[in-house]
Amino acid sequence: MKSKVLIMLMVPLMALLLVACANTKSGARIHPEAVTGTPNCNECHTDAYAAMNHQAVDFFKKHSVFASNARMACASCHAESFCSDCHAHKEELKPSVKYTQQVERTLPHRGDYMSQHRIDGKINPASCAKCHARTNNERCLTCHK
Amino acid sequence: MISHQKKGSGREQRNLPKIAWVVLAAASSVMLAQPVMAADYTITGSSNTYLRMTRSINKDDIYPLYEYLRFSVSAAEKDGSATSLHLGAWGRLDLVDKSTDHHTDGDIQYGYLSYQGAKNNLVVNAGRQFITEGVATERVDGLYARSDFAAGITAAAFVGTPVVTTPNYKGGDFIYGGRVAQGKPGLYSIGVSALRNESDNARDREEEGIDLWVHPVKQVDLTGRSSYNSITDGWMEHAYTLSVAPIDAVTVSADFSRINYQDYFYNVTTTAFALSNNGGLLDPREQVTAAGVSAAWTPVKNLTVAAEYKNYGYEILGSADYVGGKLAYTTADALSLGASGHRMDGSSDRTRYYDYRLYALKKTGHTEFGVDFYNVIFDRPIDGVKSSYALTGIAGYEFTEKLNVGGEIEYSQSPDFNREWRALVKVAYAFDMKCGEKGGKSEK
Repeated sequence: MKSKVLIMLMVPLMALLLVACANTKSGARIHPEAVTGTPNCNECHTDAYAAMNHQAVDFFKKHSVFASNARMACASCHAESFCSDCHAHKEELKPSVKYTQQVERTLPHRGDYMSQHRIDGKINPASCAKCHARTNNERCLTCHK
Repeated sequence: MISHQKKGSGREQRNLPKIAWVVLAAASSVMLAQPVMAADYTITGSSNTYLRMTRSINKDDIYPLYEYLRFSVSAAEKDGSATSLHLGAWGRLDLVDKSTDHHTDGDIQYGYLSYQGAKNNLVVNAGRQFITEGVATERVDGLYARSDFAAGITAAAFVGTPVVTTPNYKGGDFIYGGRVAQGKPGLYSIGVSALRNESDNARDREEEGIDLWVHPVKQVDLTGRSSYNSITDGWMEHAYTLSVAPIDAVTVSADFSRINYQDYFYNVTTTAFALSNNGGLLDPREQVTAAGVSAAWTPVKNLTVAAEYKNYGYEILGSADYVGGKLAYTTADALSLGASGHRMDGSSDRTRYYDYRLYALKKTGHTEFGVDFYNVIFDRPIDGVKSSYALTGIAGYEFTEKLNVGGEIEYSQSPDFNREWRALVKVAYAFDMKCGEKGGKSEK
């Protein structure tokens, strides 16, 4: 019992000490320059942010890793609504419908997706499941009883 | 598995007003205190209204009207810390077809209060939010905190109720997890993460993972993640991407992923992804290994030429190859042109096809016009249709910097919809108000 109390006291104290020793500066809350279109972060950054070049051919594959590692860097340009455009849990409008005019963006479900989804689902169901296995699957249930 | 789930939609609907009240009460108390302390206010919001004119698979005309409202208010201190409130919600009203009793719907997408510290990248959020921490990519009603610690360590933790809205199932009563990472800014980061999702009588989800980002030199970048299911005692997924840019104009990327169905699709909330030993379609013995390579060349600014190849190797189904290329020319505000073509060569009729896409969008002054054509040509007809396509015409007009009106008309042919017309009208209004020296992010 004594050891449990000791641990409960020591853990927060250690955490506070480690926080105090860290003393890093928080990332910019708001990106200092207005960014339009699909930015090439390499144009200005030579540090870790350069790797987040949105024009890179594999940026779409890697964006989830950046969202884990550097969510605050994402948030300096993107509002929460930007994530919700695709990662909502009960969404009826496809991103490609909401943003038809953003033809250059890698938006899923373009064109006739009713027949295409059977193909994508067969080739790599995990790519669908990332968004639809647990949330945002009400439409799935209209057919997949 | 699905059989582990219990009915829970009613409980969630009862919880929603409670959550909204808690968030609003906390927000108002904090925000009311801010005039004394704050140096910089930003209020942003947007309204996006969509009217769709389409037809159901049963040939019923459907005219759903959607409204998306987003609102954010942020009060920033001179030392760099900030307190903010973020709300996003949508609603839908069916204007014509009311043959079911489900002709209205809506949802709170997010609603949370956030504190961001001036130091140590400290963030504390409370409310409905989207969490991305290692194995967790979850929407949660709950609490989230993260901070930098000494020796390049960062840590994050969350706890709450999983937000799952499937009518007949819920995703557990209680979810919690976190991630600890160590790294050197600009050089590498390696993280370990875990999440648990519990209900009264079942182990819903127990996942652990490692993630890494390595950037030894400017030209090389490795990202990846492996996740483990400790209920089934197996690796769910390995997914890694290596990018190399030998010169500024050329990027070569290789990616590898391996997914074990038995472990990955354990305990989903829809039969669409259920394993066959649980009443679904997916073979639990199946494993897919996907390996691909792509190369992109930027001969002049704004122009990208890319080629890509990917192989899908299945333990049971055989293999499939996807190969093709694309061309894109995009200037910041005036012009987007693109073309792409691919060949999918798989083992079934549905996985043997060519796909093409052509698009163009031009802005002139306040007006924009565009076309977008997407075509899939199957080797053998599917339900009598060999060429499935959608042709979309796009138009928009910017009345003011804050008010945009646009529309589109789509003509399509597919195995499900023969010669179908669809239309959409969109009205987008955004506003922002700033007090102080610094601006904010638009909700547009």
